[in-house]
Amino acid sequence: MSTQAATLPVEQRPEPVKRPKMIADGVLGMVIFVFTEVMLFAGMISAHAIVRSQTAGEMWPPYGQPRLPWEETAVNTAALLVSGIVLLLAQFSYKKSSSRAMIPLVLATILGAFFVYAQGTEWVALLGEGLTLTSSVYGSFFYLIVGAHALHAVAALLGMGWATYELKEGRLTAAQLGTVATFWYFVVLVWPVLYLKVYL
Amino acid sequence: MNRAWILVLALVLLAVVPDDAAACAVCFDARDENRQAFLVTTAFLSLLPLGMVAGAGMWMRKRSKEIDQELEAQD
Repeated sequence: MSTQAATLPVEQRPEPVKRPKMIADGVLGMVIFVFTEVMLFAGMISAHAIVRSQTAGEMWPPYGQPRLPWEETAVNTAALLVSGIVLLLAQFSYKKSSSRAMIPLVLATILGAFFVYAQGTEWVALLGEGLTLTSSVYGSFFYLIVGAHALHAVAALLGMGWATYELKEGRLTAAQLGTVATFWYFVVLVWPVLYLKVYL
Repeated sequence: MNRAWILVLALVLLAVVPDDAAACAVCFDARDENRQAFLVTTAFLSLLPLGMVAGAGMWMRKRSKEIDQELEAQD
């Protein structure tokens, strides 16, 4: 406010310029939450790296334990990455017209659901082959890390399902879509790191 | 203190730190691979949060400048 304006009576003073928000409240909250989640996965990956290094020169995976199906999981990984790109398209479409975001949002959710389903199928097969949480440290880390990621993926899918419903009802705001999308981007971007460290 | 002295001090500190790290009883292993894993993961876990905070700070600075330019353009 200028000096001249400050000398005016309060009711005559011009309205201060409202500075737009730098980031939506929901997105900011989600970004802070994602920071903590990044550290959670970083801790698990670090523990995995140390345990794996202790077996350097020995067999990894340990004797009698099945090998992880990295080829099938590569397909799931591709589906997850594509879902992230499609969700980005949904956000761009929303800026033009909210209704145009419906198809990419649904597509991203379906691709995400496919990833979770395919990972679940893989788990069932691995359990059948004898890889369990207690069968070896290899199995423990696999189920801990991949399981933690799967829980996050399911939570994010629920969020995307909610966003799709709200969009259908015409109530979804850009900030809400951004909040849900931020969490899904985290789920998408952390997976390649887990895949490289755990599967390969 | 001028920059050259700060640099020298930083290098001296860097030269001293690895000895302290090796003094940690649970961070030591006879095998090279394991010692390296401890060092790499320590650096990773130490730098990751700093990197995230620095990244967020840089983004906020950039966004703030953009908002200032938008407000100036409106006036």
